[in-house]
Amino acid sequence: MAKITIDKTIFEFEGDQPSLLQFCLDREIELPHFCYHPAMSAPANCRQCLVEIGNPERDRETGQIMVDEEGNEVIRFFPKLMTSCSENISDGLVVRTQRSSDLVRRAQKDNLEFLLINHPLDCPICDQAGHCPLQNQAYKYGPEGSRFEFRKVSKPKHIRLGPRVVLDAERCINCTRCTRFTSEISKSHQLTIVERSVKNYPMTPPGIEFDEPYSMNVIDICPVGALTSEDFRFKARVWEMSSTPSITTTNAKGSNCYYWVKDNRVLKITPRTNMNVNEFWLADDDRLDYERFNDDRPPGPTVDGEASSWEDGYARAAHILGNVDGNRIAFLGSAHASVEDNYLLARLAEKLGTAAPMYIEHVEVGSGDDWLRTDDRAPNASGCARLGFTVADADLFGPRLKGGEIDVLYVLEDDPVSTGLCTSDDLHGVSVILHHYNESNQTLPLATVSLPAATVVETVGTFVNIDGHAQRVRPAKAIRGVNRTLAMEIGRSRADQHGTPFDRWYNEENLINCQPGWVSVPGVANALGLDMPTTNPKAIMAELASTNSAFEGATYSAMGEYGIRLSEIGETV
Amino acid sequence: MTNFIKDPVVMMAERNPDPVFSNDELVFSDQEKRLIERWKSQYPTVDGAIMRVLWLAQEKFGFLPPEVIRLTADEVGIPYANAYGVATFYTQYYKKKRGKHVLDVCTCFSCQVCGGYDILHYLESKLGIHVGETTDDGLFTLQEVECLGACGSAPMLQVTNGRYVMDLTHERVDALIDTLRKGKTPEFTSVTLPQDEDELGGNRRSDVKEFQASSPRPVSETVR
Ligand code: SF4
Ligand code: FES
Ligand code: FES
Repeated sequence: MAKITIDKTIFEFEGDQPSLLQFCLDREIELPHFCYHPAMSAPANCRQCLVEIGNPERDRETGQIMVDEEGNEVIRFFPKLMTSCSENISDGLVVRTQRSSDLVRRAQKDNLEFLLINHPLDCPICDQAGHCPLQNQAYKYGPEGSRFEFRKVSKPKHIRLGPRVVLDAERCINCTRCTRFTSEISKSHQLTIVERSVKNYPMTPPGIEFDEPYSMNVIDICPVGALTSEDFRFKARVWEMSSTPSITTTNAKGSNCYYWVKDNRVLKITPRTNMNVNEFWLADDDRLDYERFNDDRPPGPTVDGEASSWEDGYARAAHILGNVDGNRIAFLGSAHASVEDNYLLARLAEKLGTAAPMYIEHVEVGSGDDWLRTDDRAPNASGCARLGFTVADADLFGPRLKGGEIDVLYVLEDDPVSTGLCTSDDLHGVSVILHHYNESNQTLPLATVSLPAATVVETVGTFVNIDGHAQRVRPAKAIRGVNRTLAMEIGRSRADQHGTPFDRWYNEENLINCQPGWVSVPGVANALGLDMPTTNPKAIMAELASTNSAFEGATYSAMGEYGIRLSEIGETV
Repeated sequence: MTNFIKDPVVMMAERNPDPVFSNDELVFSDQEKRLIERWKSQYPTVDGAIMRVLWLAQEKFGFLPPEVIRLTADEVGIPYANAYGVATFYTQYYKKKRGKHVLDVCTCFSCQVCGGYDILHYLESKLGIHVGETTDDGLFTLQEVECLGACGSAPMLQVTNGRYVMDLTHERVDALIDTLRKGKTPEFTSVTLPQDEDELGGNRRSDVKEFQASSPRPVSETVR
């Protein structure tokens, strides 16, 4: 097997390998770097990843590897340091990183001094501070001070490159990650580096706005604070927020993300790498979809339009359901709700002798692309379909309501009126039980019982994306009231990269009085006297995974952080 | 460069300037298009042709405002942003309208020592403009540039990205301006190097009419 020696440790490898830099990073050998990004070409322009590289020396005549008196291979090092990001690895290569070479340490330090010459060092007012590769690496590998005694170059500041991205050209180190993103990944070709030498900076050419639907990705990949979000600028420092790994729900792709929360408000959404779903990227829609979690939330359950307690809400819903014939009830599941919630709803329908729930399709033709946005604007249509739910047809549903065939409409986390499934008039004389996220829900004014539902950032659950990838969501913020499962999950899933334990999460501000479906649906069932244990979502998925072939293997532990690909429906494994 | 060192401010370029040329004017002739196609075929990928096409456009339109850069990008078949990046990288591509003749006076190390700034200041007072400006009659633009690789014949200047005029003195500058005013291109004068004179019997170029034998370099007034 081929081998490579890095700082005296020998690593074996086989087959094609990434660049030396990535090879090291994959083995947790840290090498400082800025311009290299695993998804893009390596221009090797930041010069931060320098290492010493050598090959065993061979005897010219015999071709034998030469050894010194002590029997060690003689290594001939390149006279200059090499950039590890653009170096391919080959058998026998010997590498010295900053961990073993003074020369490399010195070079990295000097390089950082150069990078910082014209950098404004305005970290105290910079959004990137706290998770800034330049700040971190300057701290770890950089010089103690600068020897540059002249005025720093002033460049354009707070320039709106487009509607969502702001440039501070002084902070830019010209790594070209952002321009490479637009030319290699999104292919919008909206950015370029203009001018030359100390005067250069990234910019759109005249007459062009940086408005592509994936523009905000450059904010994450910018290794300094040169590109910031118009939306998030100056709202919070990273260390004041906690981040929770989850998925986004504006469409059926289920891109992996982090929800950043401060005082129980979601403030920003950033991508989380998952090579099976969204790789490193996240659409702008997905990033800006957080206000509905914070604002426009209902104050609590209502009965006949009046505020009520949860118990009264459950009791009234049970009363309504218990007094009609099962076939005069219609259940609507939801492509916005988790598999668990929909499954419990199906159980409830079954116990009442009602047909399986249907669900509303949220397809907006043309809103998707071939990448991370789909025409389907709901996250879990696949999950509903796998549960055997069919799509509710507006042509049939409205007339059935109007024709007096249905006395009770039970809606899980959706809005039949605004989606056009039926009109408010159709609902005249129908008792509506509604689980809803937002006050602006247009079915809400017609609801006899309304039960505020926990949104994707407040619950535990499973969503199946358009490709059949089943993924878990985790609570990023707390809800009002005590729920042991949620509390445990919050504690377990907080990937706080910056926070300290017991801060932010548990302050009492901005807590929403809502319940996850897996609490409120059993709440209604139990008020009806039906036997539906208030169980936790993990147990529900375990049950589904073993009883329903469409969810085979989808247990919480199997899904973990990155989800699993379910087999096609009907396919036997 | 001096001003930039004292006051290093990079200004933001205008993001939506009004176009200078109308759509009717923004076309390449069939002959130019054929030329462009030929250049494109000469590189492994078409991107390579962009520099020549920008050059062609500059000769045709006089300078390269954004709409002309976009035209060249479309013609070559590369993104506008890439062409714009290339055009702004090279100072020899004029993004702003210049005078008919652009005088690029070298003030880099060797020329500076040999009086590059003396020449520059002489031209400033002679033309009545400051460096970076254009004369009212639109004839001359004066610019300061870094080393043009003719240090052996310092001080020197270049006329509109073309002709080198070397071994400059006030008299030579006067003559140059006269020639240009008359609408003529100055004859290229080859200035030989000392070693040519000493060792190679002059080493005259066979393709050049005017010669001047190497002489000791002048020394800048300020250095003196
Ligand atoms: S703005 Fe950021 S990503 Fe773009 S070149 Fe500058 S440092 Fe790199
Ligand atoms: S990461 Fe290697 S040169 Fe920038
Ligand atoms: S310094 Fe003027 S040509 Fe080199």
